[in-house]
Amino acid sequence: MSSPFYKPRFLKVFTGLVYLYLFIPIVIVIVFSFNSQKSLQVMDGLSLRWYEEFFDDPTLMDSLLTSVEIALLTMLISTVVGTALAIGLVRAHSGTAKGFNVLMLVPLITPEIVAGISALLIFSQLGIALSIWTIVLAHITFSISYVTIVVRGRLASIGVEVEEAAQDLGASRWESVRLVLVPSLWPAIVAAGLLVFALSFDDFVLSFFTTGEDAQPLPVRIWSMIRFGVSPTINAVGTLMMVVSISAVALAVLIPRLFGRRESGVKVLTGAEE
Amino acid sequence: MADEAIGIQGVTKRFGDFTAVDDVDLSIAQGEFFSLLGPSGCGKTTTLRMLAGFEVPTEGRILLEGEPVENVPPHRRNVNMVFQSYALFEHLDVEGNVAFGLKRKKVPKEEIASRVAEALALVDLTARAKARPNELSGGQRQRVALARALVNRPRVLLLDEPLGALDLKLRRQMQIELKAIQREVGITFVYVTHDQEEALSMSDRIAVMSDGRVAQCGPPEEIYEHPTEEFVAGFIGISNLLEGRAESGGRVRIGDDCLEVPDLGDERPDGDRVRIAVRPEKVAVDEIGTDPYRIEPGMFTVEGEIESKVYLGVGNQLTLRLGNGSRLVALEQATYRVRADEQWEIGQRVRIGWHPEHCMVLG
Repeated sequence: MSSPFYKPRFLKVFTGLVYLYLFIPIVIVIVFSFNSQKSLQVMDGLSLRWYEEFFDDPTLMDSLLTSVEIALLTMLISTVVGTALAIGLVRAHSGTAKGFNVLMLVPLITPEIVAGISALLIFSQLGIALSIWTIVLAHITFSISYVTIVVRGRLASIGVEVEEAAQDLGASRWESVRLVLVPSLWPAIVAAGLLVFALSFDDFVLSFFTTGEDAQPLPVRIWSMIRFGVSPTINAVGTLMMVVSISAVALAVLIPRLFGRRESGVKVLTGAEE
Repeated sequence: MADEAIGIQGVTKRFGDFTAVDDVDLSIAQGEFFSLLGPSGCGKTTTLRMLAGFEVPTEGRILLEGEPVENVPPHRRNVNMVFQSYALFEHLDVEGNVAFGLKRKKVPKEEIASRVAEALALVDLTARAKARPNELSGGQRQRVALARALVNRPRVLLLDEPLGALDLKLRRQMQIELKAIQREVGITFVYVTHDQEEALSMSDRIAVMSDGRVAQCGPPEEIYEHPTEEFVAGFIGISNLLEGRAESGGRVRIGDDCLEVPDLGDERPDGDRVRIAVRPEKVAVDEIGTDPYRIEPGMFTVEGEIESKVYLGVGNQLTLRLGNGSRLVALEQATYRVRADEQWEIGQRVRIGWHPEHCMVLG
């Protein structure tokens, strides 16, 4: 080949193999969730048998509801706190704010196992009984950082002048935040909330350490199920969880577009500048 | 003063060690189109922001129709601002943007509707009332910002480089419209710009600012024809600066030549250093050895050489070198008799002249 843009064929093959490696486990889970037999090796006709079993299992359903509840609470609390934090960090032009901007990243890079163990230690030291609230508290710690990063990116692109304009037109400081700033940030807040929902919904490590006896979220329940032998129901549960997580993230990407803005949802999520 | 819209009295604004506005005194009359003109960092925007209430003066007083307002927050001041970035509310449509101020003031619904319609008609945007800001062109966004401010019928409208983001042609058109709107509504405009042409063409009075202080304040003609200092002469248009020594009888010696300067006054001691400026369009250039064509009787004349020539279409911009080595720029208008491209060779010896009364003494 004399073309200077010749791309060797092995690169295509290699890329294909990488994608196979990434997706084969997921595909296997999805495919076998529709298997009519108990086997995890042989496909033997399609059925919704394992989905029925999942929906008929009161403990699993209980765990699903618990997970949704935890994810919703985490989403609500962390979007409110995270948005407030973002506004404070961007609008306060002090040196302290710069430090806190960096500090805010720490929960994101803290190994989850460390965060989980320290959360557990604190709760037991303070004599707080483990419940869904301890899980929510643990999830909020890292969720706030996600919300703040996403909202901060959007906030930086809005500029102070919009708030000043609102005040100039007779809005008090609080009104300028409520009537102008928050509506302008809304796509980013919604996107961040959905992202946090997805993260909380499938979190295992933190949940594992902070779960009480009474209500186990789905990932923790699956883990304890596997200890007593693998049932194909797991494939059905896994597939459903994937659908929930992917839908949340897809919405997070789509919603900013539905708001009629020109920038892409990916940009809102990553806070990337043009 | 009864008809004073704004009084700025001894106002200083410091940010840490930096003095942005340095002891400024200005009085702006009711209904005036007043421009704050200067390069970036001269303090013009900070001055405007103090009028709006976004900055509190470190020292001094700001009076709005005689009432001190320096500690009144922006939302309680009866002034409105048009921002350089327009700062439109992207989540509201054009109507929502314009109605925002009236809603804050709890104006009755029917009145809001009629005043918004009126304001949109004023800026010729009635057809786009339901559009979102991101669907509008730059010029239309500018008009929304203007309508949003004017609909509140402020005592004073503050404009921070409102045309800065528009291209040249649209800017010229908006200058004319803005001036027409100001005449129609009769509101005092305080206009910040770094564009001297814009300030000259629109303003009733201009305050030229430099390093936080007002260098000169007056009508456009006065600022242009009689600048009181070098900065103003240089910032407004091009000026030729000449250095000389004062001589008796109000004359200035520049090199071998002596120039009578009517503006000089009698009190100058002999040998005192004098700087004078001449506008390029006041300088006449003629060929040597022919009958005077542009140079008139009564002009002060010197000989020089053409150093460079820039063809402008409507004329030429000539850089001339005088005998004493100093340079002079002359702007020569083409006429129905002379085409700009038919004249002058580089290096050609010429006669240069200007009327003594066109000399500006800069101290």
